[in-house]
Amino acid sequence: MLLEMRGIRKRFGGVVALHDGRLAVEAGEVHLLVGENGAGKSTLVKIAAGMLGADAGEMIWQGRRVRFQRPADAAAEGIAMVHQESLLAPHLSVAENIFLGREPRLPLGVVNRRRMREAAARLIEEHRFPLKPEWRVERLNPAGKQLVEICRAVQHGSSLLIFDEPTSALSGAETAEVFRIVRRLRERGMGVIYITHRLEELRHLGDRLTILRDGATVYAGPAGELTTEQIIRHMVGRELTAIYQRTPQPPGEELLRVEGLTRKPALHSVSFVLRAGEILGLAGLVGAGRTELCRALFGLDPVEQGRVWVEGRPVRIRSPREAVRAGLALIPEDRQRNGLAPRLPLGWNLTSAALDLVSRYGFLRAAEERRQWDDYIRRLRIRAESPRQLAGRLSGGNQQKVVMAKWLLRRARIFLFDEPARGIDVGAKAEVFQLMDELARAGAGILMVSSELPELVQVADRILVMRQGRLTAELGRGATQEEIMRYATLQTQGALWQGGEAAGQQEHS
Amino acid sequence: MIQRLLPFFTLIVLFVGLSLASPYFLTYTNLSSVVRQTAVINTMALGMTMIIIAGGIDLSVGAVLAFSGLLGTMAMEAGLPIPYAIAVGLLCGLFWGLTNGLLITQLKINPFIVTLGTLGIARGLTLIISNGLPVHRIPREFSFLGEGNLLGVPFVLWLLVFCAGLTHLLLEHTRLGRYAFAIGSNPEAAYYTGIPVAFHTTAVYAYSGLLCGLAGMIEASRLMTGQPTAGQGYELQVIAAVVIGGGSLRGGEGSVLGTLIGAFIMGLLSNGSDLLGISPYLQQAIIGAVIILAVAVDELRKRKLG
Repeated sequence: MLLEMRGIRKRFGGVVALHDGRLAVEAGEVHLLVGENGAGKSTLVKIAAGMLGADAGEMIWQGRRVRFQRPADAAAEGIAMVHQESLLAPHLSVAENIFLGREPRLPLGVVNRRRMREAAARLIEEHRFPLKPEWRVERLNPAGKQLVEICRAVQHGSSLLIFDEPTSALSGAETAEVFRIVRRLRERGMGVIYITHRLEELRHLGDRLTILRDGATVYAGPAGELTTEQIIRHMVGRELTAIYQRTPQPPGEELLRVEGLTRKPALHSVSFVLRAGEILGLAGLVGAGRTELCRALFGLDPVEQGRVWVEGRPVRIRSPREAVRAGLALIPEDRQRNGLAPRLPLGWNLTSAALDLVSRYGFLRAAEERRQWDDYIRRLRIRAESPRQLAGRLSGGNQQKVVMAKWLLRRARIFLFDEPARGIDVGAKAEVFQLMDELARAGAGILMVSSELPELVQVADRILVMRQGRLTAELGRGATQEEIMRYATLQTQGALWQGGEAAGQQEHS
Repeated sequence: MIQRLLPFFTLIVLFVGLSLASPYFLTYTNLSSVVRQTAVINTMALGMTMIIIAGGIDLSVGAVLAFSGLLGTMAMEAGLPIPYAIAVGLLCGLFWGLTNGLLITQLKINPFIVTLGTLGIARGLTLIISNGLPVHRIPREFSFLGEGNLLGVPFVLWLLVFCAGLTHLLLEHTRLGRYAFAIGSNPEAAYYTGIPVAFHTTAVYAYSGLLCGLAGMIEASRLMTGQPTAGQGYELQVIAAVVIGGGSLRGGEGSVLGTLIGAFIMGLLSNGSDLLGISPYLQQAIIGAVIILAVAVDELRKRKLG
C-alpha cells in the first residue's frame, strides 16, 4: 500500500468537513475520489498533500506513520498535487514554471537558463505535450496550464500524484489527452488520486473508487463494480432516476438574430437565431470561441463586423449596460469572479441588476426590496439562512441560482449561460437545469454553452457546434455525442496556444 | 459580533480611562475642543468612507482642503458675503472630487496614482495662487463656523451630525450607496451586471470632494486664516479613521458609524496624550500602532469566519 488514511477528522470553525475520511491507494493504480461538493474530497487530499493538518486520524505512507506539517514535507516524500485552480506564475515561461524553486544553478546561484530550457523541452517531448518551454504561462488556456502543472509534478519525481478535478476546465480532446497521461503515469508504477465531478468519465480511467458523502467514506472498492446510477446514489444517498429531463416546447417568436458576427481571431462570421421557449446548446472544444461569442453578444468585447437583432429590432451592444437594457443576461462561467459579489449579502446580489425597480427617486424602498428577496429566494428554492447571508457562503448551486434570480428580477428574456453546471454538485445540477427549463417555458430564450456533452444532448432543443471561431454544425434533438464531437474536432492542432508573442524570445538573441 | 463592536468598546474604554486619569478630561472646555479638533478629519473621513467602500482611495484630501480653504477665504477678502464664500470653498472641493473621479474612470488609472497626482497639483496650485502667503483679512463672524456654539453645543458638531446622517442615508438607503458597495466588493461583477460603474464611481469622488471643501472652510474658520500649507498629512489620518472603524481597503466594507468611532478614537488618543503630557512624537507612534492593531483584529475575525 502506497498511502493509507484512516479515520481522518477535520473541522473548520464550527463546520465539520471530514469526520471519517478513509482512503487507501496502491502504487500503479488510478484511484478515483468522488462525492458531492462539500463532501470532503478536497479536504482529504489537501491533508494528504500537507496543505492542511488533520485534527485526528492516522496516515501511513509506504508503511510508515507520517504527519505532514506543510506541503514541502509531502513533496519531499514524493506526493504532488495538480490543482483545480492554477497556481502557476503567469508572467513566467513554461520552463520557468516547471522548475520554479528548483532551478538548475550555475556557480554563485545564477539560474542556468539553457539547461532549464533543455530539460523542460525533453520533458515536454517525452509526454508529447503541445507546449513550448519559452511560452508565457498567462497566454495558455486552462488546459495548457494544467499540462504545465503535470510537468512540474512529474519532474519532481513524485510517486503519488493527486489531480483535483483536472478535467473540469477541459473539453473532450484535451480530457482524452489528460487520461492518456494519467494511464502512462500508472504504467510507470505511480499512484494517482483523481478527483472528478464528471461521472461519465470514470469508466475509462479508474482502477478503484472511493466515494465520500458528508465528510465520511461510504464506499471503497473496484471502480468497475458500480454503475453510474449506483455511484450517484452513494454520493447523494438517494435515488435519481434521470439527472435531468426536459420535454421540448414548440419554439415561439424570434428573440435574437445574429448575422456574420466577427471578432478575429476568436469569431468568424457567426450567424444563428434564438427563439422564445428554446434552449439552444453551444458545443465546442475549449478555445473554439464559445465564451468569446457570449462576451461579444453581451458587449464585453468589441466586434469587428456583424449585426444583431433583439425581438426583431436591430441593436448595437457596446457594453454590458446596453446588453442588459436590450434584455440580455449573462450567467458567466466564473460565478465568483464575474457573477456576484461574494462578500455582500445574498439579497443585495439578487436586486443588484434591478435596483431601479425597487427604488424611487434614487431611494431604495426597503420593504419592496425585502419582498422581492423573499419572493425570489422562495421561487428559485435558494437555500440560505436569510437574505443577509453573504453570497460567498452559499454552495455553488445556490450561488448559481442567485445569479439566475438576479436576471429574472431584471426581467431579462435572452439568457446566455456559460457552463451553467460547472462546479455544482449532482443534486443542484438537476435543479439548475429544471430552472432553465422553467425559464424557457415562461418564454425566455436560452443559449447554453457547455463542455458536458450528455448535458447538452439531454437539455438542448438544438445544438450549435463551434470550431476555431466558426459554427460548423447545427444539430437537432437526438444528436449523439459522437456526432457533436466529430464537428467539434477534425483538427485540434495548436488549440492550446492562444496566439501572441512567446515569452523569453529576447533570451534567444 | 463582540469583535465587530471592538472599536466601540475601545472608544468607551479610552473615554472612561481618560476621565479617571485626568481631572481636565471630562470638562466642557476639553470635550468641545476634542469635537472641534476632530471635526475636520471627521468630515473628510465621511467622504473617504464612501470612496473606500467603492474600492477606491483618495490621497488628495489634504491638498483639496487647503485649496478650498484658500480660495474660500480669498473670496471673503475680495468682499464676497460669507455664505457665498463658503459656497466657493465647497465648489472647489467638488471640482477636485469630480476631477479625481473622471480621471480614474475615463482614463482608467489606478486611484492611488490619480489622487497622488492631484495631491501634488492641488497643493502646487494653492501655493502658486497664494504665493505661499496665508490669507488673513477675514471677517470676524466667519469664526462661527469652526468656533461658534449653537444651543450650547459646538456648531461643528451639528454640522458633523448632519453630514454623517446624510452620508449614512446615501450609503444605506440609495442606489448610489448600494452601487458603491457592489463596485467596491467586486468591480468586475458590477460591470457584468450592467451597473453604471463609471458614473457612480465619479459621483462618490465628487461627494467626497464636496466634504473636503467643507472641511477646508471649517479649518480656515478655526485658524481664521486661509493657510496654503493646511492639511498636510491629513490624508493618512482620514484613511486611518475609516480603517480603524472597520473599512476595508479591499472595498465593499465600511460604515459611517464605524468611521465616526475611528475618528474619535484617534481624537481621544491625541487629546489624552496632550493631557497626560505624552510627547507628540510618541503620539504619532501610538496612533500608528493602533491602526495596525485595528486592522489585525479585523483580519483575524474574518479568517475565523472564513
